[in-house]
Amino acid sequence: MIGRGVMWLIFLAVIISATNAVIRKVFSVSSNAWLEAQWYLFGAAFLGAAAYTLQQNEHVRIDIIYGMWSRRTQHWIDLFGHLVFLMPFVTLMIWYFVPWVTRSVYSGEVSTNSGGLIIWPAKALLLAGFSLLWLQGISEIIKKIAVMRGLIADPHPFISAHEAAEAEGAALKEELTK
Amino acid sequence: MIEFIALNLAPIIFVSLVVFLLLGYPVAFSLAANGLMFFVIGVWLAPYSDAINLSWPLLNTMPNRLWGVLSNETLLAIPFFTFMGIILERSGMAEDLLDTIGQLFGPIRGGLAYAVIIVGALLAATTGVVAASVIAMGLISLPIMLRYGYDRRIASGVIAASGTLAQIIPPSLVLIVLADQLGRSVGDMYAGALIPGLVLTGIYMGYVLVMSIIRPNSMPALPLEARTLGSGVTSLFVALAACAAISYGAHVWLYPSQGANADILGLTVGVAVIYLAAVLDKRLKTGLMSRLAQEVIIVLIPPLALIFLVLGTIFLGIATPTEGGAMGAVGAMALAALKGRLNLGVVTQALHSTTKLSAFVMFILLGARVFSLTFYGVNGHLWVEHLLTSLPGGEIGFLIVVSLLVFLLAFFLDFFELAFIIVPLLVAPAEALGIDLVWLGIILAVNMQTSFMHPPFGFSLFFLRSVAPRQSYVDKVTGLTTAPVTTGQIYWGAVPFVVIQMVMVGVVIAFPQLVMHYKGAPVDTSNVTITLPQMPGGGLGGGIGGGLGGGLGAPGGIGGLGGAPAPATPAPGAAAPGIGSPNLGTPNLGTPSLGTPNLGAPSLGTPTPGAPAIGQPNLGAPAPAN
Repeated sequence: MIGRGVMWLIFLAVIISATNAVIRKVFSVSSNAWLEAQWYLFGAAFLGAAAYTLQQNEHVRIDIIYGMWSRRTQHWIDLFGHLVFLMPFVTLMIWYFVPWVTRSVYSGEVSTNSGGLIIWPAKALLLAGFSLLWLQGISEIIKKIAVMRGLIADPHPFISAHEAAEAEGAALKEELTK
Repeated sequence: MIEFIALNLAPIIFVSLVVFLLLGYPVAFSLAANGLMFFVIGVWLAPYSDAINLSWPLLNTMPNRLWGVLSNETLLAIPFFTFMGIILERSGMAEDLLDTIGQLFGPIRGGLAYAVIIVGALLAATTGVVAASVIAMGLISLPIMLRYGYDRRIASGVIAASGTLAQIIPPSLVLIVLADQLGRSVGDMYAGALIPGLVLTGIYMGYVLVMSIIRPNSMPALPLEARTLGSGVTSLFVALAACAAISYGAHVWLYPSQGANADILGLTVGVAVIYLAAVLDKRLKTGLMSRLAQEVIIVLIPPLALIFLVLGTIFLGIATPTEGGAMGAVGAMALAALKGRLNLGVVTQALHSTTKLSAFVMFILLGARVFSLTFYGVNGHLWVEHLLTSLPGGEIGFLIVVSLLVFLLAFFLDFFELAFIIVPLLVAPAEALGIDLVWLGIILAVNMQTSFMHPPFGFSLFFLRSVAPRQSYVDKVTGLTTAPVTTGQIYWGAVPFVVIQMVMVGVVIAFPQLVMHYKGAPVDTSNVTITLPQMPGGGLGGGIGGGLGGGLGAPGGIGGLGGAPAPATPAPGAAAPGIGSPNLGTPNLGTPSLGTPNLGAPSLGTPTPGAPAIGQPNLGAPAPAN
């Protein structure tokens, strides 16, 4: 839900950036606040979407060997990765983010650019993004175990990057020829 | 045993990274996990080796390292250009261009192939998306080429290769990512890539020309009945001449009031007038222009305007690349709206793809930041630097080895992974050898472009495969049964172009001038003296010249300041940036004192050195490079 919602933030960033560029040239005024707002929005978008991308199984992998294994082995690799790669990293980051963000909130840190925005909301975005990712990671582990025990259907059957490219092409063909 | 591991930790980390990545778990998290695992091992082994500078408190820098990725304005251009590309892909612009340019060039032998290459280059200059060009060409041009008896290999090769031009002609995503990782400005990278991109387009056309002479039957001209827009090239030339005349007139008229801007404004007026004339002519059916001229003008001008809106503003310094991307995105939406192709569905879909791409790209970068903390902590960059600078052949040897390496790795890794993992490691050795980083970036970009078309892994070939006929079909126009295009034909068709790419890499290596013009005319520094107050030691010309960009205040840069003797040689080892550290101004890195480039090293052209920045005593601040 959040993953689909945040994409409009990119749209907003596009509009702000284009408007800002035009205004800067035409009226020779510029505002650091608007410049910073752009990457706040982008940050919110990609951090918010990271969990969604994980859920959609769209983080890129190098599938040259992965693709040769049986689906069962792939499940084991995923489960191993979730437990040993993803969760420790995300947990550790949250561990370090909490005091870091708290400090920023209490000191009321403001961007060093003149007219810049307050910084802690952007720092809190990192914390929020990683927290979402953590929750999604737990969810993925549970789902993966359920899939491996045959309790639920496999939500993302393996498609190699090249098959995905062909599918994308076919979809676009459909779209353009209609 | 433990000491052996401690002393060789950098190679061990690297090998284990390869194993982690090949396992097939998402790259972003594998990178981070590899970094963290070896951080723990590194802290444990630190007493056994002097090369390991890892300790627990170092992990406290992690939030700021990731913050640096977030607060990076350059990378904002990635979602903007991606969004723009996907909107354009759906706008039908490519189809119109192919139809019209195909008609324009159709009457000459090999004309459709030229049209595909030209449209490929035009599309490349509006978007950085390979899929869009290849699919449009495969849908529009391939059936026509097959209908009139083009050789299948040549037809598919031309299409697959022209689509990849999007990777090298600005504004391409590869160039943005490379600029960020090499610590150069995106604008410089774009300026540097422009000529090689055009030369490459020229070589493709040269190949078609040669083939049309050697094997004329492989690419016949369109027969008369297929020239639906009729002839009327003369009319087009007249229209172009009129356009030029109006532009010049407007220029003369505007010059007194607008000064230097009159060039651009004059041209804009001329183009706008001719566009309006063509549209009116078509609506009112006055028949002033030939139908061909009308169509060409109407179809060609919007994309050209879009190219100007994006690239023109960037090259003229009116907009930053990020702003150019945003304006391009708005322009693309306007263009799609004009064609009646803009609706909520298209925008949502484009945003959806853009967001997912941003998420995985940025997370690879975050993972790379974690990895680099450990890898640099064990002096892995020095190991790589030693490895690459000790290659035989010096500069050329380095470039050839790097090209081969990237060429081979590109079979397995896509360009984001290459750019975030491999490229940062090349910066220090390249600087030690005195290689210009923009030049290196363009060489890498041509190599990565090749990876899109080499069989059997090139993505361009898969996009073409998805739209090329798999079964024999009955052609709608001629009523003849047409044989399918086999996968083998697609692969073999790409081979000559892969060879052309390799030649192109050689050309860029042999003629650095193709890229170096981005600096402007060289400045004679032999009689320029830079006097700097408060500077300990003399002979700083070279040190600063070499240490520009890159890592803010890396310790190496300071060494260069002290005693680099010849102003021409960049300081060895200056400014070794961390993986992904360029441009990522984390607050605690101190003021970017060394960052001002172009301080009087002869090859660096800008005649206005930012001298005050050097004068500051904080040059000596040992800001952490990572």
